Amino acid sequence: MIRYLRWYIFYSLNLKQMHDLLPFLPESINNVLSSIPYFMPEIYLAILFVVVLVTDLLFGRDAIKLCRIIACAGILLVIHRDYQQFDLLLFTAEPNGHFFFTQMLLLTPVAINFKFIIDVLAFILLLYFAWDDKLNAHPKGLSDLYSIIIGSVFGLHFMTMAANLLSVYLAIEMVSIASYLMVAYRSESASSTEAGLKYVLFGAASSAIMLFGISLLYGFSGSLGLYSGNLVIGLAQVNPLAVSFALVLVLIGIGFKLSFVPIHFWVPDVYQGASTPVTAWLSTLPKIAAFALLINFLRPFIFYNNWTAFDFRFYLAIIGIITMIAGNFAAVLQKNIKRMLAYSSIGHTGFALMAIVTFTPTGLSALTYYLAAYGLANIGALALATYFANVAGAEDLDAYKGLGLKYPAASVCFVIVLVSLTGIPVTAGFTGKLFVFSAVYSFYQQNHNALLLLLMITGALTTVVSLFYYIKIPLNLFLKRSDTVANPFVKSYYIIALAICISIVLVLLGIFPGLIMGKI
Amino acid sequence: MALLATLIQLGLSVWIYCNFKTGAAFGGINHEGQFQFVQKLPWINLDLGAMGKMQIDYFVGLDGISISLLVMTSFVLVIAALASWEIKSNLKGFFVLFLILDMAVTGVFCSLDFFLFYIFYELMLLPLYFLIGMWGGARREYAAIKFFLYTLFGSVFMLLVMVGLYLCVKDPVTGNHTFNMVQMMNPANYQLGSVFSVLSHQTIFGMSARAVGFVVLFIAFAIKVPVVPLHTWLPDAHVEAPTPVSIILAGILLKVGGYGIIRVCLSIFPDIASADAYWLGLLGVISILYGALNALAQKDLKRMIAYSSVSHMGFVLLGIASQTAEGISGAVMQMVSHGFLSTMLFFLAGVIYNRVHDRGINHFRGLAIIMPQYTAFMIIAFFASLGLPGFSAFIGEAFSLLGAFKSHSVNGLLPYWMAACGSAGILLGAAYFLWTMQRMFFGRVNLKGGAVWQTALTDLNLREKITLVPLALIVLILGLMPSLVFAKINDSVLALVHFLQFKS
Repeated sequence: MIRYLRWYIFYSLNLKQMHDLLPFLPESINNVLSSIPYFMPEIYLAILFVVVLVTDLLFGRDAIKLCRIIACAGILLVIHRDYQQFDLLLFTAEPNGHFFFTQMLLLTPVAINFKFIIDVLAFILLLYFAWDDKLNAHPKGLSDLYSIIIGSVFGLHFMTMAANLLSVYLAIEMVSIASYLMVAYRSESASSTEAGLKYVLFGAASSAIMLFGISLLYGFSGSLGLYSGNLVIGLAQVNPLAVSFALVLVLIGIGFKLSFVPIHFWVPDVYQGASTPVTAWLSTLPKIAAFALLINFLRPFIFYNNWTAFDFRFYLAIIGIITMIAGNFAAVLQKNIKRMLAYSSIGHTGFALMAIVTFTPTGLSALTYYLAAYGLANIGALALATYFANVAGAEDLDAYKGLGLKYPAASVCFVIVLVSLTGIPVTAGFTGKLFVFSAVYSFYQQNHNALLLLLMITGALTTVVSLFYYIKIPLNLFLKRSDTVANPFVKSYYIIALAICISIVLVLLGIFPGLIMGKI
Repeated sequence: MALLATLIQLGLSVWIYCNFKTGAAFGGINHEGQFQFVQKLPWINLDLGAMGKMQIDYFVGLDGISISLLVMTSFVLVIAALASWEIKSNLKGFFVLFLILDMAVTGVFCSLDFFLFYIFYELMLLPLYFLIGMWGGARREYAAIKFFLYTLFGSVFMLLVMVGLYLCVKDPVTGNHTFNMVQMMNPANYQLGSVFSVLSHQTIFGMSARAVGFVVLFIAFAIKVPVVPLHTWLPDAHVEAPTPVSIILAGILLKVGGYGIIRVCLSIFPDIASADAYWLGLLGVISILYGALNALAQKDLKRMIAYSSVSHMGFVLLGIASQTAEGISGAVMQMVSHGFLSTMLFFLAGVIYNRVHDRGINHFRGLAIIMPQYTAFMIIAFFASLGLPGFSAFIGEAFSLLGAFKSHSVNGLLPYWMAACGSAGILLGAAYFLWTMQRMFFGRVNLKGGAVWQTALTDLNLREKITLVPLALIVLILGLMPSLVFAKINDSVLALVHFLQFKS
C-alpha cells in the first residue's frame, strides 16, 4: 500500500511541474514515437493479452479452447516479431543495442535472444498447460490462466530490456503478480495453499527489500538510469560499505527470481505445491529473464573501470559455488519428483552464474545457450512428470517403479531429457556445459584467478552428484520391478508427442550446437 | 540382426586390417598424414567473435595401435552377440543398447579429435548402465550406479582438461583453437603463455599445470583400466552384468582405458609421462600383485576372473610405463590377448551359470567327468591366461616385463624390482588359476545342487562350441605368430617411443 502511495505522490508532483515541461513535450513525443518500432513484440503481446481476456469474458466457460488457440497463435506472431528485431538492430547499425523510451529500456542482441527463448518456451508451455489432468479439472477452466501467462510474458520481455532501476522494479513486479496468481491458481491440498501463500509473502518481502535497495541507490547517486546519468559514477564516490549494502538488497530482489542460495528456501515448497505446468513455468521463464536482467544490471558496474566498492564477480562466484553445492546435494535426498527437480534447478542456477562471472561476450552467449538447453529440458522433464501423474498417479520416485516397460516411449524420452539435464553427451545440456566451461576457462587464462578454477571444479563435481539423483528416475522406471498391482493402461498422446519433439531437439542440439549457438 | 551387424563389422575391420599398410611412413602417433583410413569432416564450426572460431571436426583415422584393438573389438562383439542368446527378456531394448555401445567403442578407438573421443567415451556409459542394470544379477542396481558414478567422476574432470587443452592449442593452418589430438601433441601449436604450454610453466594451486592435466587424465583412464586403488567398481560390475555385457566390459572397455593412456596421456603429455613413469610403474605392479592376491581369495568364479583382469591389466600399465619399444608392444599385445582371453573366460563362466544359476567355486567339484568338452576349453583358457608359452598372454606379459627390465638400462625410468615383482604376479596367476581348476574340475563329482544339478549340467552345445573354437584358435595363433599383431603395431610403437624420447 505504502508503495502505491509513493507512486501516487511521485506522479502528482510530476503533474504540477507539467507546465514547466511544456517546451520539452514535442521532443518527448518524438522520442516515444521513434521508440515504437523497437517495442513491436511487446505491443503485440499487450494486444494479445487484451484479446485473450476479452474472449474469455465474452464466451466464458466455452472459450477455453478458443483462448488457447488465440494465445498460441499470438505467441507465434510475437516470436516472428522478435526475429525481425535482429534485422532492426542490424538495419540501424547499432550492434551494441538501442535505448528507447527515454533510456528506460535497452534493446540489445542479448535481450532479443532471451526474448526469443522466452517466447518459444512460453509457446510450449501454453500447449502443455491443458494437458495436465489436475490443472484441467479446475472448475473455472484455464482461460484465465492463458491471459495471465500472456501478461507475464509481457513482464518478462520488460525484464530482458530494463535499463533503469524503475523499469527493473516494474518489470519484476509485473512478473511477480502474474506468478502469484499462477501458483495459487489451483490449490489441491493444504500444503499447496500454503505454498501459494508462502510464495506471495516471500515475493512481497523480497520486492520490498529490493525497492529499499533501489531507493538507497537513488539516494546515493541521485540517478535511476543504469546507463544514463551518473549512477555508477556517483556510487563509486560513496562509502563502499553503504553502497555494497544497497547493492546486496537489490541483488536479493533479483536473486529471489533466480533462486540462488541463500534466497532459495521458497523454491522446494512452491515447486512441489504448484501444479506441474506452473512449476515448469516458474522454473524456467522467470529464471531466464532474471538472468537477462542481471546482465543488464551488472553491465554498467563491470565496465566502469574505477568501480571498486563491490566486487560482483567475486561474490557471484562464491554464490555460484554455494548454490551448486547446496542445490545438488539437497536434491539427492528428495523422494518427490517435483521437489527433486526444484533443487536441481537451484543447482542449475549456480552453474549458470558461472557464466555470468566471466561477463565476456562468449560467456554471455554460452549462458544464453545453456539456459535455452536447460529451459527446454526442464519443461520436458516436468511435462513427463505430468504424464506419469496422469497415467499412473505417480508423483514419488517409488511410484515410478516398473513403469518404464509399460510406457516405453515416455520413459525413453525421460532418460534423454535427464541426460541433457545432467550434461552427458550427446545432448544440448552437454554442449551447454562445454560452452560455459570453455568461456570460464578462457577467462581464467586471462587473469589466472584460482576462484574460477574452483568454480569449474565445483561444476564438474556437482555434475557427478546430479547424475546420482537424476539417474534415480530411470533406475525406478527400468531397473526396479513394480511391486504394486498393475493399474489399467491409460493413453495420453499429446504429452508424449511433446516429449518426443523436445528429446529430438535436445539430441539434435547436442550433435549440432551450431544450429543456435552460431546465432547468439 | 545384431549378430549380422557385428559380423559385417568384423568383416569390415578384417578388410581394413588386411589393407593396413605398414612401414616407417605409416607410424602415425604425432603425424597427421601418417594415419590411415582418415575421414575428416568439419563438424562444429562456430564463430565466437573475439575468441576466434571453434573448430571441432569429425576426424577419424587409424594407426597401428588402434587397428589391432579395433580388430579385437569387432571380434569380441561378435562373440558377445553370440553370448546374448541367454538374454530372454526385452530383446529389442537389449540389442538397441548393445549396438549403441558397439558404435561408441568403435568410435573411441578411431577418433582423433578429442571432442569426438570424449563424446564416444561418454556415450558408452549410458547403454552400459542399462545393460548392467536391467539384465544383470541380484545386486545389479548397486553395481550399475557404482560403475556409472566412478566413470563419470573421471570423465567430467577429463572434460575440464580437454577444454583447457582446446583453448591452449591452435591449428597452425587455420589459426583456430582445435580439439585435434594430433596437433595437441606438437608443443609448437600451444599458444605462448597458455595454461598447458610446455614453455610457460604455469601452475595450478602451486603444482605444474601440465602435471595436473596429466594426473587428471590419467585418473580418468585409470578408472577404466582399472588401476588399483580405483578398481572397486570392476568386480561388482563384472559379477552382476549378464555374460555378454561382462564380455564387453572385460574384453573392450578395459582396453579403452589402456588405449586412452597411450593415445592421450602419453602422447599429449610426454614430458610428464616420463617424469612420472616411476609412479605409473608402481601402480602397475601394485595392480598386478593386488589383483592376483584378491583373485586367490575369491569364492565366486566371475569375481575371480574379474580380479584376474585387474592383475592382467597391471601388465599393460607396467609396459606402458617402461616407455620402451618392447614394453609398449607388450602392453598392446597384452590388451589384445586379454581381450580374447577374458571374453573366453567370461563366456565359460556364463555357460555354467546359465545351467545352474550358481558360480561358487566351491559349489562344484569333478566337473571334468560330467562336462569333458567344457573342461577342455576351460583348461585352454586357464593355461592361456596364466601365461603358458605358446599362448598369446605369454607374449604380452613377457614383452611387458622385458620392457620393464630393459627400461632401467635404456632410459632409467623403472627399477629392476618392479619387473621382478611383475614376474611374481605371473606366478600368483598360475596359483589361482590352477587352484581353481583343481577345485572345480578334478576329483570326485560333488555338486552343491546334487542330482538336479547333475542333469542340468549338460556339456557344450553347438552354439557354444562355435563361439569357443575360434577364440581358442586365435589365442593359440597369436601365441605362435605374434607377428600378426606386432607387424601392424611396430611402426606406431617405434614412432611413439621415438616421440617420447625426443620429448623427455
